[in-house]
Amino acid sequence: MLSRVADTIYWLARYMERTQSMLQVIRIQYIASQDEPHYWGWQPLLHTYGDLSEKEIKQRAPHTPQVLYHLVFDRQNGASVYHNIVRGRENARAVQDHITKEVWQSLNDYYHLIRQDSVAHQTLGEDPVSGLDGLIQQGVLYVGTVQNTMPRDEGYIFLKLGKFLERALQVTDMLRLNQHLFGEESEHGGAPELRYLLYSLLGYELYLKTYQGQLEARSVLELTLYNADFPHSLLYSLGQLLRYCERLKDKSRPESYEQLRFLIGKARTTVAYSTLESQQGEALGKFLAQVRGELLEVAAALSSSYFGNG
Amino acid sequence: MYNSGEGIEKIFPFDIIPRIISNTEWLRIEAGIKQRLKALNIFLKDIYHQQFIIKDGVVPAALVYSCPQFLREMMNVAVPHDVYTHVAGVDLIRDHDGEFYVLEDNLRTPSGVSYMLENRSITYRIFPDLLPKSNVLPVKDYPALLYRNLLALAGPQTSDPTVVLLSPGIYNSAYFEHSTLARLMGIQLVEGRDLIVHNHFVYMKTTRGLEKVDVIYRRVDDEFLDPLAFRPDSALGVPGLYWAYRKGNVAIVNAMGNGVADDKAVYCYVPDMIRYYLNEEPILKNVPTYQLADNDHRELVFSQMDKMVIKRTNESGGYGMLIGSAATEQEMDDFRQAITADPRSFIAQPIISLSSTPCYIDGKLQPRRIDLRPFALCGPSGIDIVPGGLTRVALREGSLIVNSSQGGGSKDTWVLGG
Repeated sequence: MLSRVADTIYWLARYMERTQSMLQVIRIQYIASQDEPHYWGWQPLLHTYGDLSEKEIKQRAPHTPQVLYHLVFDRQNGASVYHNIVRGRENARAVQDHITKEVWQSLNDYYHLIRQDSVAHQTLGEDPVSGLDGLIQQGVLYVGTVQNTMPRDEGYIFLKLGKFLERALQVTDMLRLNQHLFGEESEHGGAPELRYLLYSLLGYELYLKTYQGQLEARSVLELTLYNADFPHSLLYSLGQLLRYCERLKDKSRPESYEQLRFLIGKARTTVAYSTLESQQGEALGKFLAQVRGELLEVAAALSSSYFGNG
Repeated sequence: MYNSGEGIEKIFPFDIIPRIISNTEWLRIEAGIKQRLKALNIFLKDIYHQQFIIKDGVVPAALVYSCPQFLREMMNVAVPHDVYTHVAGVDLIRDHDGEFYVLEDNLRTPSGVSYMLENRSITYRIFPDLLPKSNVLPVKDYPALLYRNLLALAGPQTSDPTVVLLSPGIYNSAYFEHSTLARLMGIQLVEGRDLIVHNHFVYMKTTRGLEKVDVIYRRVDDEFLDPLAFRPDSALGVPGLYWAYRKGNVAIVNAMGNGVADDKAVYCYVPDMIRYYLNEEPILKNVPTYQLADNDHRELVFSQMDKMVIKRTNESGGYGMLIGSAATEQEMDDFRQAITADPRSFIAQPIISLSSTPCYIDGKLQPRRIDLRPFALCGPSGIDIVPGGLTRVALREGSLIVNSSQGGGSKDTWVLGG
């Protein structure tokens, strides 16, 4: 497969995974902003998904419709959901002969959906949750179409590598954003935020089934880091990365494969052989920064030895 | 054409009523195009080698050397099997006398063949059973014929040659065609940045490392092909490609430097070329053409500008032309000035009332002007022309411009079996 094609497919998957994760986080934040008496504000998300200055963030943060507009529809914001979808579709267009027609159509429909005025109107005014749900559904349709129509060839492997690398990065970033919830002193006040964190990662129900009853910072961290059945846990994403990496073995130059396999294995081991006990207080921040760094090394290795960039 | 961002995809309208060409008419067209391409191919070989045609005074040297598409870099380059015009699209029109005339030869990177294939597949869906019952000859062999010719160009020392299609990328207006052809032939669609030249061999960058490329069907213009040999600011080309080509390490389709043969001023000499090289009378006629570098012609054209079409010799796509009957005084004055400044770059032809055919527009059948572009494939084994081609329609009432960039559409073209 051409390096450029592999690169384009991989980024297509990353953009779409990022879109899904952003939309879910924004949806849950919006619900929190309505339902939570001590709501903590939009600032952290505006920092993560926007490109505004400190001053602009202060001005906009209190106005929910403006925030939603900036994060989801703003064409000036290079990190908005709109831009992710446009880029995903552009990538798909450039590799149309390597993805199925159905996958292309689902992305094209996604693009046309987010451009509809009625969707923006609904999301910003009438009923934000339904508006965001509509967008999320189209994303789920894309995921299912990939699953159902794509041949399990090299292109599919790069789709999966992009998807799970992006997911691991998103989970790491979400945990970093909510680091304060896992500190010693915040045991008492963190429960509502912990619940919304679980909702954002689509893990609330699994948490209840696994741990029954009360929300504990420690158990939430255990679920999001180590649970092998939870598709948004860090360990699960890294396991999938390893799985698809190994399928590349007979499709790569031996030295490229060895390097990629080593780096993914290293990141997975960092997570698998860590313990909750060793991550009290500041240690968690260091640990997450280390994992993030190792994930970025995986991305760099893919870029240099598979996509021919430098 | 290269506007970025939104709206780069455009619709090319399709008219459902097919245009029908009888078998006898087609045989004449086919013979005429084959004859013409044979002569043009010899002309290209001659002009880039011994130049007998100039020495014998048939084509003036000044005309050839003043053509911007004449590439000195191609002098004495041996191209595989002496084939230059692997893919050619010859534009034909029909005048009031019922005769087909050649309007221009497109020998560089002619496009439109994917629409010929797409139009046929729409027709058999909207008119079930009609095609077999009407004895319409198939066009579906085109990709297979092209692939066969491309494979034949690879050097004999390569057992499993790699053929690629080089496209300028998704912002090119013909990108749809590039990806369609690559898919139909099962070859890689590459861009300039996917290829590198090492030791005068061309490689493509793949996830398994570098892979040697033997044949390039390029849809990038000459001047953008190699920034080291031609335009240094080209981001679409591959540095070093020209030398790899010269060394014979890669075959490029169509050959570089073909523009000298489809220049609109050189066009006037094609009938003479046919007589000179083949000792035959041309089967298809040229449209009468005045070269504006000639003083007498220029005065004649200036005096009857309202009856003339004036074209730039190196433009295509319906750009850089003036239709006298529809032009304002101001436009005519602008052209007069431009022509006086640089007469070599213009030609004039009498306005030909292109033949018309019924089209289904707004629920009625209405006449619209058409032309015809059959696609010819020249390979080491000879010239093949799939029976059919792209019929372009000027959709605006009374318009004579069929180019898709200027509001043209297309029709399926049926050639009937004998």
